[in-house]
Amino acid sequence: MKTSWPVIRKWVFVGVGVPVLIGLWWAFRPEKLWINQKVDEPAPFALSSDPQPLYTGRLEGKAHQTRGRATIYKGPDGKQYLRLTDFTTSNGPDVHVLLARSDDESLNQETVKGQLDSVELGSLKGNQGDQNYGLPAFIDLQKYNAAVIYCERFHAVFGVARLEQF
Amino acid sequence: MVRKFKTGAALVGLALALGFLPVQAQTGATTLETGTFHGQVHNTSGRATIYREAEGKLVLRLTHFKTSNGPDVHVILIADKDADDNANFLKSGTERVELGTLKGNEGDQNYDIPAGTDLGRFQTVSIYCERFNANFGAAPLKKF
Repeated sequence: MKTSWPVIRKWVFVGVGVPVLIGLWWAFRPEKLWINQKVDEPAPFALSSDPQPLYTGRLEGKAHQTRGRATIYKGPDGKQYLRLTDFTTSNGPDVHVLLARSDDESLNQETVKGQLDSVELGSLKGNQGDQNYGLPAFIDLQKYNAAVIYCERFHAVFGVARLEQF
Repeated sequence: MVRKFKTGAALVGLALALGFLPVQAQTGATTLETGTFHGQVHNTSGRATIYREAEGKLVLRLTHFKTSNGPDVHVILIADKDADDNANFLKSGTERVELGTLKGNEGDQNYDIPAGTDLGRFQTVSIYCERFNANFGAAPLKKF
């Protein structure tokens, strides 16, 4: 019995087409576009009652060279504080540590014109070294999400750290 | 008889104390480096942090993490300060350290870093699709 041409063509299609389709599926796994694979591993070590870092960011110098890390911690007692580590800035008159809004345009300039929308944390304790500043009890950290080293006298932004969730 | 019991109890107590000591020493880890992911081609976000556990082991932990799901996706460390969103490390010949297959495209997850990895050189975490040599996202790490 002679097999008709359309039937051969059908089997060629199946013989070639199916492996090609399987190959394409294997390579691209298109179903993964819709399927998420969620995991939720705990930290491999005890985080226990140590202060928990909530937000952190690197300081970038503006008017004066400034570097280091700014991190907001929540202590075991629930109190929040800002900690500067690996920190250096230039010494200056009336320098303060503030929290401000990271989207505030004036933080892109070296000096602020007018009033900076900010929360005062205190005078800078030292222009070098690790240091902590307590945060007011009710502070919106979603809004005030940038740590600023700020010279009040000259409205100069020494450095800014945009804080992101730890 | 009572004495024997006392010695036994003392021995058990000593064994327990010795058994628990290392466990106590294990708690806590030092945060060495951290950074956040950027990735536009395959939307990637979240934080990567390297911890050193008490016994010296290095662990990479991803938190608030999200990327797109895909085939043959791995977590690697690359010997560079950062990576472009469309980087191809095969073409650029970038050195890398393999940390394992991505466990999930969402959520918190841990990866062991091989002992002896030079973190001064391998400064960036990449979520990398080995099949297509596509960088899904990169997190440049900075000192914590």
